[in-house]
Amino acid sequence: MTIANQRGQQLRRIVLINEEIKKVIATAFTINLMAMNAIFLAKRAGTTALGFGVLSNELRRFAIDLQKQMAVLSEMTYDSVNTVTALLKQARLNQMLEATAGICNALGKSLVKDVLHSRLNGVLADRQEESHATTRRLSQMLADTVQLVELGSVLARSAKIEAAYGGNLSVSLTQVSSDFERSIGEIQGSLAKLTKHDLEEAAA
Amino acid sequence: MKTAETIYEDGEHKWIAIVRDPKRPHYIIDTNEYLIIQDDDAILCDPGGGEIFPAVFSALSAEFDPSRIRALFSSHQDPDIISSLSMWLEFNPEIKCYVSWLWAGFVAHFGGTEKTFVVIPDAGMDILVGGLRLQAIPAHYLHSSGNLHLYDPKARILFSGDIGTALLPAGEDGLFVENFDHHIQHAEGFHRRWMGSDKAKRDWCERVSRLDIDMLCPQHGAIYRGEDVTRFIDWFAGLEVGILKS
Repeated sequence: MTIANQRGQQLRRIVLINEEIKKVIATAFTINLMAMNAIFLAKRAGTTALGFGVLSNELRRFAIDLQKQMAVLSEMTYDSVNTVTALLKQARLNQMLEATAGICNALGKSLVKDVLHSRLNGVLADRQEESHATTRRLSQMLADTVQLVELGSVLARSAKIEAAYGGNLSVSLTQVSSDFERSIGEIQGSLAKLTKHDLEEAAA
Repeated sequence: MKTAETIYEDGEHKWIAIVRDPKRPHYIIDTNEYLIIQDDDAILCDPGGGEIFPAVFSALSAEFDPSRIRALFSSHQDPDIISSLSMWLEFNPEIKCYVSWLWAGFVAHFGGTEKTFVVIPDAGMDILVGGLRLQAIPAHYLHSSGNLHLYDPKARILFSGDIGTALLPAGEDGLFVENFDHHIQHAEGFHRRWMGSDKAKRDWCERVSRLDIDMLCPQHGAIYRGEDVTRFIDWFAGLEVGILKS
């Protein structure tokens, strides 16, 4: 596969990453709304649903933190697009220079080889390092997000347990906590896809 | 690969035409590039598109050290004219690109920095190459709204951008026009469609007919010499342009 093709594949992967990020942001927004409703429901249930109320509040904070984190991830993918586009442009320039060297006479060939050599140690090395740094930052942020969502999952499970003590509203609270669990499960699915794309990105 | 042909030489003053590439993919229009050399200095007129850079560079380097090219002249903004800019900048980051003020910001999408562009006002300007004074002369709306040609009064050569273009069929790829009447049929459709303004055309013909021109060098097709230059200007003056053939 040519370098240009590899970069093209990276760009397509970034598009997929961005789509997953959008899904997670939308789900986090839903969790936020669900948590607000759950807080009101817990208040109606009174002291028996005190624990459920606390957990709903925590889930709301979790949803807000997740939205913020995903916005940062989204910005990072934008940086990745910039870096990959620059690398794509450089790969194209290199391809043309190599084609030029292939058909030039001695003077032309020597001029082109000098330029290719200095590009390899200069601009290309810099761009490559930039690309690796962006990928590392993206991986780190993704790992942090996976941890955050793990916390969300624990909160949702605890809310399900607390729902059992919800008195008259126990059925409704169980339903809400199941919705939390399902939504967080969807986010975990998206994050698993993101991690897969991230690993492929790092390998590219 | 293209070939480099010296079309004018007087001591250290030279015009080299870089023309015809038999290996050019059929979907890319053929282009002519012209290198004007004076002593140790040189300017390349319409350096061409990125796709044909290897062919241009290799042909040119067979005749001249490309690292000595100090400037590029871009008659207008089209990709077949100047999309190779970023490649030339790889060889000389200090290279200047002369282009109409109208297009500098657009051509910058092909590469370069603020320092790369020397903007040419609508009225044109003189460009010094070595001790040689060249004249960038207006050809606006022919076809581009910011279009310039380059005249060398000493060599009596006019680089005329897209004016004079002929889309030559296979096998008719001579460097010079040999039979005007036969040749001009390959130029007619192009001029009728690409040249958008009759007023601009008349104004150009009137101004250019006052210049001493031994050779009129278009960016596509063959070069007009001697009496064919006047013949071409008269033909163009009488041609109905800016029409869509139904």
